[in-house]
Amino acid sequence: MKIEAENPAVEFHDLTVSYHKKPVLWNIDMTLPKGALIGIIGPNGAGKSTLIKSAMGLLPLGSGYVRMFDHKLDEVRDQISYVPQRESVDWDFPTSVFDVVLMGRYAKLGLLKRPRKADKEMAMSCLRKVGMEGYIDRQISQLSGGQQQRVFLARALAQEADLYFMDEPFAGVDAATEAAILSIMQEMTAQGKTVIVVHHDLQSAAEYFDWIVLLNMRLVASGPIEEVFNNELLQETYGGKLTVLAEVGELVRKRQIPSREKY
Amino acid sequence: MDAFLIILTGSIIAISCSILGCFLILRRMAMVGDAISHAVLPGIVIAFLLTGTRDSVWVIIGAGLLGVFTTFLIEFFHKKARLQTDAAIGVTFTWLFALGIILLSVFAGQVDLDQDCVLYGEIAYVPIDLWISESGVVLGPRALYISGFVLIVNLFFVKIGFKQLYLTTFDPAFAATIGISVTLWHYLLMGAVSMTTVASFDSVGAILVVALLVAPAATAYLLTDKFRNMLIIAAGIGVFISAAGYYLAVYLDGSIAGAIVTVAGILFGLAFLFSPKEGVVFKRMLQKREADKLKAA
Repeated sequence: MKIEAENPAVEFHDLTVSYHKKPVLWNIDMTLPKGALIGIIGPNGAGKSTLIKSAMGLLPLGSGYVRMFDHKLDEVRDQISYVPQRESVDWDFPTSVFDVVLMGRYAKLGLLKRPRKADKEMAMSCLRKVGMEGYIDRQISQLSGGQQQRVFLARALAQEADLYFMDEPFAGVDAATEAAILSIMQEMTAQGKTVIVVHHDLQSAAEYFDWIVLLNMRLVASGPIEEVFNNELLQETYGGKLTVLAEVGELVRKRQIPSREKY
Repeated sequence: MDAFLIILTGSIIAISCSILGCFLILRRMAMVGDAISHAVLPGIVIAFLLTGTRDSVWVIIGAGLLGVFTTFLIEFFHKKARLQTDAAIGVTFTWLFALGIILLSVFAGQVDLDQDCVLYGEIAYVPIDLWISESGVVLGPRALYISGFVLIVNLFFVKIGFKQLYLTTFDPAFAATIGISVTLWHYLLMGAVSMTTVASFDSVGAILVVALLVAPAATAYLLTDKFRNMLIIAAGIGVFISAAGYYLAVYLDGSIAGAIVTVAGILFGLAFLFSPKEGVVFKRMLQKREADKLKAA
């Protein structure tokens, strides 16, 4: 089941990616719409993180290509932001919350330029958006998981990009942070920005996203949530895992997925 | 005067090492510094045999390239053979160091280097190893010029590349996505480390240079939680241990390089116990105070 987006933000074309000669993604071919909140869903080891890492050029592509806003990544790099998994960095690093957010401005600065006042103000306003303005001088090791994720989100906001890839932004955060992050994402998509999120929780996925990509090493489905988020396709994605399947079945039965406006 | 020259040279070397060491330990690459400092030996010997002098820029460049090659080999074994990093480091640098020892012993007659000097260095000779120009003017200690040159290059490198080094150290994936070449900055840093170890070789030797790379940086790490301050504190510790180490050596009538590193070790121990951030003593006190408060309440 695959629905193509008109005027896409991202196009994956026959993408195949391997780790140590073992393919982890096979023939991913899809287009994702602009201005949508897009969830990439699939079981562990399905290649969700790999998909966005390879889109960002962090992993070599076996074959195929990825285009963003109908350009190569290098041509539109400053319009695109990537938020790595929280665990990917050393939170004991001697740096402050403010300095991490300021890094978001580095992309716009050249090799020699130092951040200016405008950059610092921008970083401050992003910290305010995520509710972390009270922590600017805090060393990052003193933050909770949710606060760390907010800092990462603030850094991404400071990039002023049009397309965001976020790797598990909801993993291990408190409920308040989850709600705050979601509302910021919704605000971003309302402004026409595209947000692509790797997500593993099916229950919340049904509520959060406009568009769903179901992935399990190959593309199972891609399309608006009301067309794609159904028992059959979820079973196909999570194939064989009975406990999960039972939950999914329950979920689909219980929750009438709200119909949303078309793109 | 001699004391001043020795301390000055030691300080200059220590500042270079401490600053680069901050990046190394935060990248969890302290042992790569160790590897480089040993692996440059064949480079020094070969460059020496080719150029006939020990103080030429070619020696620094030749040996520096070998240092970069070492890190390349380590990466290569790690990535291609999927060998653990520490195993890759262990195999690579000992092999290159052994190669250097063989070259050294085979060409011992022609090379103004000996194994003791390579291993332990001798900073006490700094004031008598002078750079004399062709017209016979004495320009001062050779080691001072070389280490001064290396320090200037290092300071310039860190100043120019601060953002890139900082970002590729903290979050390489993010750095790559905003278009900073992680590989380029990795090898530039490795080049700087190689150049610095070569320049430090005469003075402190292959074994102790590792201590200069790691100990001041590790001490500074315990004392601050701001990266810029860490660089400054590490450099300050470098100067302090050079001076204190010199006087300790004079007092004991022992090896200066050994004394410098001993002082560095003592400072690290003090920081470990008394640092306001991570200090064991301070934490205890804090815990006790909290416990008292709880009791009172």
